[in-house]
Amino acid sequence: MGANILIADDLSFMRMIQKEILTERGYTVAGEASDGIEAVEKFKTLRPDLVLLDITMPNMNGLEAMRKIFSIDPRARVIMCSALGQQNLIVEAIKAGVKDFIVKPFKPERILSAIEKALRS
Amino acid sequence: MSDKSAGYGGDKSAGYGGDKSAGYGGGIDESRLRRALLEEADELSQKLGASLMSLDADRANAQLVNEVFRLTHSLKSESALMGFGVLSELAHRMEDVLGLVRSGALPLGKPVMEAVFSGADLIAEMMSAISRGGSDAEFATAAVLGALSTAAGGAGTGPAASGPAGGPVAPALPPGEVEQVTLGEFELAQLAESRDRGEDFLRVTVIVDEAEPMKFPRAWLVFSALEAVSNVVKVVPPLEGDPVEDSRYGRMTFLLTADDEKGVVRAATGVDQIAEVKVERCRFDDFLSRATSALAASAAAATTRPSPGHPSAGIAAGIAAGAAAAAAPTAAEKTSIRVDTKKLDDLWSLIAELVLHKSRIARLSEDVGHGMDAQTVREELVEAFDSLDKISGGMQQAMMDTRMIPISVIFSKFPRLVRDLCRKLGKSVDLVVSGEDTEIDRSIVEALADPLTHIIRNSLDHGIEFPEERVRRGKSEKGRVSVSARRQGGTIVIELADDGRGIDVPGIRRKAVEMGIPGAGTLAEAQLLDLVFLPGFSTKEVVTDLSGRGVGMDVVATRVRTDLKGDVALRTEADRGTQVTLFLPLTLTIVNALLVRGGAQLYALPLTEVDSTAKLTSSEIRGEEGRENAAWMDEDIPVFSLGALFEGGRRRSDECFALVLRHRDRKAFLVVDELIEEREVVIKPVDDLLNSQRMFSGVSVLENGKLVFILDTSFIRREKF
Repeated sequence: MGANILIADDLSFMRMIQKEILTERGYTVAGEASDGIEAVEKFKTLRPDLVLLDITMPNMNGLEAMRKIFSIDPRARVIMCSALGQQNLIVEAIKAGVKDFIVKPFKPERILSAIEKALRS
Repeated sequence: MSDKSAGYGGDKSAGYGGDKSAGYGGGIDESRLRRALLEEADELSQKLGASLMSLDADRANAQLVNEVFRLTHSLKSESALMGFGVLSELAHRMEDVLGLVRSGALPLGKPVMEAVFSGADLIAEMMSAISRGGSDAEFATAAVLGALSTAAGGAGTGPAASGPAGGPVAPALPPGEVEQVTLGEFELAQLAESRDRGEDFLRVTVIVDEAEPMKFPRAWLVFSALEAVSNVVKVVPPLEGDPVEDSRYGRMTFLLTADDEKGVVRAATGVDQIAEVKVERCRFDDFLSRATSALAASAAAATTRPSPGHPSAGIAAGIAAGAAAAAAPTAAEKTSIRVDTKKLDDLWSLIAELVLHKSRIARLSEDVGHGMDAQTVREELVEAFDSLDKISGGMQQAMMDTRMIPISVIFSKFPRLVRDLCRKLGKSVDLVVSGEDTEIDRSIVEALADPLTHIIRNSLDHGIEFPEERVRRGKSEKGRVSVSARRQGGTIVIELADDGRGIDVPGIRRKAVEMGIPGAGTLAEAQLLDLVFLPGFSTKEVVTDLSGRGVGMDVVATRVRTDLKGDVALRTEADRGTQVTLFLPLTLTIVNALLVRGGAQLYALPLTEVDSTAKLTSSEIRGEEGRENAAWMDEDIPVFSLGALFEGGRRRSDECFALVLRHRDRKAFLVVDELIEEREVVIKPVDDLLNSQRMFSGVSVLENGKLVFILDTSFIRREKF
């Protein structure tokens, strides 16, 4: 196991929860980003197996970051994290090629099964 | 396939590929397809109005609830196919509410009824805007949607239902009905290609996990996974539309073609949060032959054919049957028609007879060759001719009958109209409708809808008094409006009567005198009432003050008299009510007419407007040129002559032929150069350039190619030329 995952969320406690869930299951958190710009930069340098990308982030939002990431690596595995009511944004992301999406607030099982399926593809 | 898809369009199963066929110009007559769909949606909308009325009267009737539910469902699908998202959304919300009623989760109380009624109204308005080339997007639906949602009491309609799972969420559609899939031309072409490539045709049903809070993006995820390994032909419910109602996407059906079935299964199950995936093989022929069978389907008996053995088959067929049973179309500018199959059968048996007689004549010509004697041949020929004459007459009648539809298509809207007006005006009225089976040419029916609606509106607005006033006047509290139709020879008579306050005739006279209308002081009542039809007379200020008719009677008169070649008359009695009578020709296209000659030109006069023919001698004609009179029976009537009217001069001989023309209560002689014959003429519209004087109601072309002008006899009422 031990896939490398990049977590991007502007809320530190959110990153904390995610990190806890992932490490407990044996994943490695390759890095954390608190906005879109940082997420793209860390993707470039860390080349994680998967990115958990929040949609609503300052400086550069998740959608934009997703596009930059896909332009770096079209086969990147990206899972979007969203709040309710962002259907259209998620559909946009799906059209661009994200593997899955998770709706906050999420349960640990949900995030894990999404990651599992995405890594298998 | 391309040859078979030509002529495609009248069938219920003709799905219009909203998304994918856009921009596809492969020689497909989309406008026809669209017209067919429009027509059907229009019928559905009318049927919905009628069924709602019945349901309102019998709210416990589960069958009616079902019927109304099915109609909204069909409307939703049809409008979605045509790309009318706003309409579709509205129908969908109505369907949701009705679905709750159907399942017993929501009592059918007044608020629900009112909300659904207003939804049906809005849909009707949208349909009429669309048929005029407008769009459903011009209408604001928020208020109605709000009312629907309130009526449902938050029991699971609207966006609120798409929240996180947990609370009771009403199914957007009963399972099964979602899968009534129809394909458009483009999809069918795709299917045909895939079949030729040897791919499998699969129906993939995907059920999203109940726990998924956002089902619409989930559906997209499934779609993009499937799209990666197959060719997705159709998705139900479709993946577009904004705003999206999330709860609809709990169950998705994908029709796709693929060369690797296992890959499809893998792709679908590879998506997270999917509770169930079902892959079934379909037969291409079920869909491809359905498209071609549209050709064969008779106009009246449209059918859908979902794939055999599919659970939705019965339901889909039920929906189709409901649509097919709907009333005949009435929206403006229809060019395709629905015809009662019995009428076509009649026509067909006449054609069979025609063929029979054709061979009889062929045999006769042979007999002549074999030396049969001339006398016998002549007798046989005369007999054969008589039969042919009867048959061709019958065919003409049968053909005309296909243009005839019952006037109930308009009358059926009146209960609703009266009900709404009563509610709005605070009046109480019984509507009595009779003769709704009377058949009339469909083009006339279409043109009548507005004038009749107008007259009824006037009755309720201005004729019928408020309940208190009626009681004060010793009348029953409830007013009465009656609408009737009947056939009287070659004329259809429509009467609209109310028992209201009547028209203030002395008031009209005062107004007429005030306006300086010549002879107003001495005009008879009928003539005074006729003033109401004059443009500019029945303006609001004038007639409302007269506590009589409202605005726009001149519009009614123009439509009936000028456009429909009919007539309209008013009768009124103070305190007793008003009666408007419309006289309309059975059909506009063929009339019995008298053919006459004036100079070198032929003219035709509809027989209904010719009272008699007469010989006039020059000594009988009195008065100065241009204002001549002659005696007819016991009255003096004006004399016109074709020569004077159209050739600027008059040929006068000592004795001439004249017709006695009648237009309503006026008569006049029309001097002609020759009376030719009485015959039927087919009326065609006349060019404005030829008709600058508005003397003609149309033209007709004879077998020898000669042009005949059909005179509009209303000219005899005019003062000047």
